[in-house]
Amino acid sequence: MNSLWWWALPVLILPILWHRQKREQTKAAPLATARFLPPSSPVQLRVWRWQDLFLLLLRCLLLATLIAWLADPVLPWRSDSVLVVPGADPAFVDRQLRDAGLAEARRIDLPNRDAYRWLHEHEREFDPKARLLLVGDVAMPAVLPRLQHAVVVRPQALPVAASEHHVAVYGERVEAWRKLFAALEGTQRYVLDAQAGPKTELLIWDTPQPPSSGLRAPLWWVIDASAFPELAKAPQVDGLRYVDTPRGRLWSAAWLPPHDAAAARTMFETWQRLHAGVQPHTAPPQAPLVDARAPAGPFGGALRDALSAALLVLFALERIATHVRRR
Amino acid sequence: MSVLASAALAAHTGKLDLAIRHVLAGLGHGIHAGRERGAGVEFSEYRAYAPGDEWRRVDWKLMARADRYYVREAERDSHVAVWLVLDATASMLEPSRSVEGLDKLGMARLLLGCAGAIAQRQGDAFGLLVCQGERAHFTPAARGPRQLQRVLAQLERVDAAGTLPAAEVLRASLHFARAPSVICVASDFLDWPSPLSEAMLRLRGMRHDVRALCLQTEAEIAAEFDAATAWRDPEGDNRLFRFGRDTRAAYARRRDEHFEMVAKQCRAHDIPYVAAPIERAPGETLRAWLRKPGGRP
Repeated sequence: MNSLWWWALPVLILPILWHRQKREQTKAAPLATARFLPPSSPVQLRVWRWQDLFLLLLRCLLLATLIAWLADPVLPWRSDSVLVVPGADPAFVDRQLRDAGLAEARRIDLPNRDAYRWLHEHEREFDPKARLLLVGDVAMPAVLPRLQHAVVVRPQALPVAASEHHVAVYGERVEAWRKLFAALEGTQRYVLDAQAGPKTELLIWDTPQPPSSGLRAPLWWVIDASAFPELAKAPQVDGLRYVDTPRGRLWSAAWLPPHDAAAARTMFETWQRLHAGVQPHTAPPQAPLVDARAPAGPFGGALRDALSAALLVLFALERIATHVRRR
Repeated sequence: MSVLASAALAAHTGKLDLAIRHVLAGLGHGIHAGRERGAGVEFSEYRAYAPGDEWRRVDWKLMARADRYYVREAERDSHVAVWLVLDATASMLEPSRSVEGLDKLGMARLLLGCAGAIAQRQGDAFGLLVCQGERAHFTPAARGPRQLQRVLAQLERVDAAGTLPAAEVLRASLHFARAPSVICVASDFLDWPSPLSEAMLRLRGMRHDVRALCLQTEAEIAAEFDAATAWRDPEGDNRLFRFGRDTRAAYARRRDEHFEMVAKQCRAHDIPYVAAPIERAPGETLRAWLRKPGGRP
């Protein structure tokens, strides 16, 4: 879309035309018998010569820079590259590099697992003939992506990293909650604390008393809603009432506390889905579709700073030159 | 040699005396048919040779005796003075649009030089008046080859500029003519009446033989100029003029009216008036100019 701005380049003709010289009045050949001619008003013709060449150059450059700034060009400055998803095993990456014959290629560390998204946004920066190798735990896209470059994908599924989550329980049934969370433990460990701390991710309020004002946690499970009058007017989705307060987000639901296994599963899945997020699967080693006409990503601005600075400088120079000419 | 080539040759000859000799040689003897028949009809005296003297007038016997060149001088009874008047105003720089390097001033210079040379051969005294840049440069009349050289040098030095001198200046310069004189005026006569025309009519009134040569160009006569060029009057202000199909008729009409008026006034005062394009062969122009209407030169 931006590249349509290049069609504005004919605007450069305007200053070129404006700077064409008017025909000089004094340039007339002597003719002895001119007195017999009726006097004529001088016709002003423009000749194909230009005045104030420096100013003309500045103005053309200014316009061209402005158009370039709007067109936001991206130079294909990246050649053969290896895109490495964070967390990839270095030995695996080296092996894949050697196998693909890209040992000399430039290595790019991606910011996250969503490699296809990054590639789509930055695809204009790559040379059309560049070979790309995608290594690591690449997130699987919903549909097979269409890219302008052939990309070799070497996925490596990583085990889910063990993590520790702190849960603070206020109330009488601490042991029951401990047993419940012990049953949920897998790669994730749950540490039940008596008091909420800075690491606390979940606070279970299993008592009818209102909480002290200093208590904070990202998520509260409220067993007895009478302690939180704001929950009465809270919106409800699938039996879950939720409200954001200065203390944190409050949840209240029929499955809190869970009375059977189904309610416990619902509780855990809802928590994982809404707070931990869905972890994408590792992409299969299939090559994305290569299509030269695939739309380029929206990302640009590689030259925007330089063009902005040039625009500023040229504008200042143009103003100065115009001012000097007027004096 | 074609007519045009002759004019072009005259224009391109750097040396005025050479061009004059060429023109006069082409004329034959037609112009010399006067009462003066060569030099030395009645012997008067010897004088030392000066560069420019004709070789045939050197006395060879005396040279053998004295080992020096002497020239036989003849007794002359000519008391006619010839005055060459050159209009060297800026408008005389008008070039020929068909012959490269030829302009009115060059042709006027050549024809006046020829007239001077003829006068010198006939033994007449002759002088020069150049009207240039609001002033009149005056060379007194005298006889002989040295005078011719002086006059030719003056002519060659002339550079056209400015406008005609004021009437008082011309009157002060032309008070000479007490003796019967021939006054040859070469001009473009674009200014008429002018101080020059007044002086001519006044001198004609004093019964001098005034001869007007009006130099024109073929482009002027045919009224054909470049329509794309802007023109200005070299003696006027900086106003611009444009020559086009629409202005051509008006130009031709006004020009014809002007020169008809000039010719009429000359006729009324019995001044021989010759209008000649500068592209014409100088010999023909000269013959037409110096021919007396009665037949005697």
